[in-house]
Amino acid sequence: MSRFYYYLIIINMVANIIASVPAILLNYHDDGAVISMLLSIAAGVLLVTLYTKFFLKYPGKTLPELLEKTTSKWFYLPFVFVLAVLWFVAGLITLITFTFLLIRYLSPEMPIILICLTLILSVIFGCILKTDRVMYTVEMIMIITSPLILFIFFKAYSSNSLNWDFVREAALYINQVPNWHSFSACFFLFLGAANLFIFNRFFTDKQKFGFRQIMFIVLISVGTLFTTYFIPIGFNGLEGIDDLVYPWISTTDSIRMDYFIIERVLFMFLLFYLGIAFLSILIHWYAAVEFLKFTFKLEKIKYKDKVIGIFLPLPIFVAISLYFVTVLTEYQLFQYSSYFYDVLVFIFPGMILLFTYINRRMKNDESPSEN
Amino acid sequence: MSSEENIKWINEQFKDTNELTMKTLEDEDKKAELFYIKPLIDVELLQQIVIKPYFEMPSETKYIRYLKALPQFQDSKSPEQLKTEVLNGNVVLFIQNKFYLLDLKFSFNDQTNTASVETTIHGSQLALSDNIATNINIIRSDYHQPTLYVEYSTIGQVNNHKLAIIYDKEKVNKNALNIITEKLQQVDKQVITSTVQLSNYINNKKYSLFPQLIMTERPDRIVYNLAGGKVILLVDGNPQALIAPVYFFDFMTSMEDNYHSFYISFFLKFLRYTGLFISLLLPGLYIGITSFAPEVFRTELALTIAGSRIGVPFSSFVEVLFMLFFMEMLLEASIRLPKTISATATTVGGLILGTAVTEASLASDIMVIIVSAVAISTFVIPINEMAFTIRVIRFFFILAATLLGLAGLTLALYALIMYLVSIDSFGEPYLKFNEKKTSKTKAGEEI
Repeated sequence: MSRFYYYLIIINMVANIIASVPAILLNYHDDGAVISMLLSIAAGVLLVTLYTKFFLKYPGKTLPELLEKTTSKWFYLPFVFVLAVLWFVAGLITLITFTFLLIRYLSPEMPIILICLTLILSVIFGCILKTDRVMYTVEMIMIITSPLILFIFFKAYSSNSLNWDFVREAALYINQVPNWHSFSACFFLFLGAANLFIFNRFFTDKQKFGFRQIMFIVLISVGTLFTTYFIPIGFNGLEGIDDLVYPWISTTDSIRMDYFIIERVLFMFLLFYLGIAFLSILIHWYAAVEFLKFTFKLEKIKYKDKVIGIFLPLPIFVAISLYFVTVLTEYQLFQYSSYFYDVLVFIFPGMILLFTYINRRMKNDESPSEN
Repeated sequence: MSSEENIKWINEQFKDTNELTMKTLEDEDKKAELFYIKPLIDVELLQQIVIKPYFEMPSETKYIRYLKALPQFQDSKSPEQLKTEVLNGNVVLFIQNKFYLLDLKFSFNDQTNTASVETTIHGSQLALSDNIATNINIIRSDYHQPTLYVEYSTIGQVNNHKLAIIYDKEKVNKNALNIITEKLQQVDKQVITSTVQLSNYINNKKYSLFPQLIMTERPDRIVYNLAGGKVILLVDGNPQALIAPVYFFDFMTSMEDNYHSFYISFFLKFLRYTGLFISLLLPGLYIGITSFAPEVFRTELALTIAGSRIGVPFSSFVEVLFMLFFMEMLLEASIRLPKTISATATTVGGLILGTAVTEASLASDIMVIIVSAVAISTFVIPINEMAFTIRVIRFFFILAATLLGLAGLTLALYALIMYLVSIDSFGEPYLKFNEKKTSKTKAGEEI
């Protein structure tokens, strides 16, 4: 597979380390979180495989294009609009989570609207770029941020404060009945593959997706989930872990670099993770704008011969985000994102039915034309 | 036309200049008319290969054959073109009512320069000359490929400068070449005197901050880029060539990188990129950390910085802007001043201002260190145009840090990367890790 495909998957996984996923998981640490994680890896990898195999069949085609060919208008227009909403909400969750993080840990005196606006304004113009440019941006920022993030993970694993006994103890809870919320939160990590709905436009070459590629994804996901869940436990212990609002922030704040000019790892972690959050929002909102473009034919809206249609969603995005960032509390954010993940567990496996339908229609379409 | 009419016509064309020389060569039964503009041509050569043989040859037919065999002989063109050719340094001969053109151009600007803008320690010290023919000669003698293709045209409606578009026909990026030729046709400026001016006209963007063509004086860079499939533009009378399309990384490459061993050039590149980030981010970081989040640094360092700021009456961004402003002034002044005085500017600015400003507590000691670090790091960027751009971009970063703190600074960096990826240089993304790039460097190495 092209390396850009892995970026899509990895960003979705890694971005959620700081979002509500670890908090949800740790909340159920004695109530089936471990077994849910294992189950979700199996289910998630299966989903990634099916999604990838489906889109490999149609190189360079986006899902809306395929739908337009195979289904009728009354179905695909509302359907794609729903997809746009889902992708927008996914980006919105990352945005609001990071805004809360910044105001809590980096600049408490700044108005929350200003912080949120900074994030939005830096990212929003990326939503109207060409697909390949988005991918190149993703690659550049990944390459700048990932060495430091890997270093921080290395520091975490090699830290003296990491108590492996806690980790072993937490792993013993494997014999519980799996928990629905923790399963859906984990499952969300794998939905990076769903970005292919739009980003498949970029992958025009024929590619191979076999056993090795699947194993690679399993490896990444196991690594990410293990780090997400067990490292905070190793640092903070099991007692009261479910009270932590941002387990990963508390964890990185326990890591010290004694001889470096920046002693607290937290700040480096925050600023470099800002890059990952930036990319996560960019990818989700880009896809959302593309879905909207498709539903409302935005490219046809012109004013004085200039296409202004593609700019129309942007102010709406800004307005909605600014509204929610002022209204929501941290608790509500966790609640609602947990519900959001729950809904996704139904929607995305359901898509596979749609894929089989598209496959059959496409075959039917092709065979008469061959004759 | 009879010869009288021809002479009359030529005189008519040049009636507004007094430099047209007309000579009649007469010998027994032979007669020829000679026209040229004296300052443009090589008089000695004219005497040797045109006038002297004329009187030695027995017949006119033989002389004409001799003329046609000369390497300076040009194919006869329409009478209208005669005018431009004469202005380009040609000699016109009228014999038996026919005209013959000889290129006897004499130019004083064909001496090659030594590299002065892109200096290196290793490698060739040769730079381009002011003469387009000499430059093409240099390029051709460094790039031995039959596929090397040179297209000539003229630019500037009034001054009619000669322009050469040079590329390797096999390797060239065809899409970019089309865009460039298209853009060149759209340029309708009256006077174009330099390549830099041309580069501003063909990138079509009045407000673009980032240079979309590299200006270079080094033949080895030109050859390296030709092999990489790029297009070279040369304007007569200019010791600089333009290279397009470019990637951001091209601006961070010095030709010397290829002349060092791997580890050394890796180290130099590392220095350069660190310099880039320091010169972009350091002033913003200072503002962000002192004014927004002093707890980021370890306690001792935070205290040192706070201690050195005791007595400074400004907030950090005023301090940064104040010092940076004077640094930029100093830079600008030392470029404009005559060489003999510019040393004084450095002394006055660097030593006296730097020390006095801290003693008067208008800026902290650390601020002075930061400003000098920033100034030095800016000079590490090998291509001058990019260094100018970085100097301007730095102020945006300072603004972002002033308004929005460290998060603003970081996001500004990410947004800048996104902006760089989104703009193109003649159809190529400006910033991108290119798989083709490796094959390009390979092509470069083969030579």
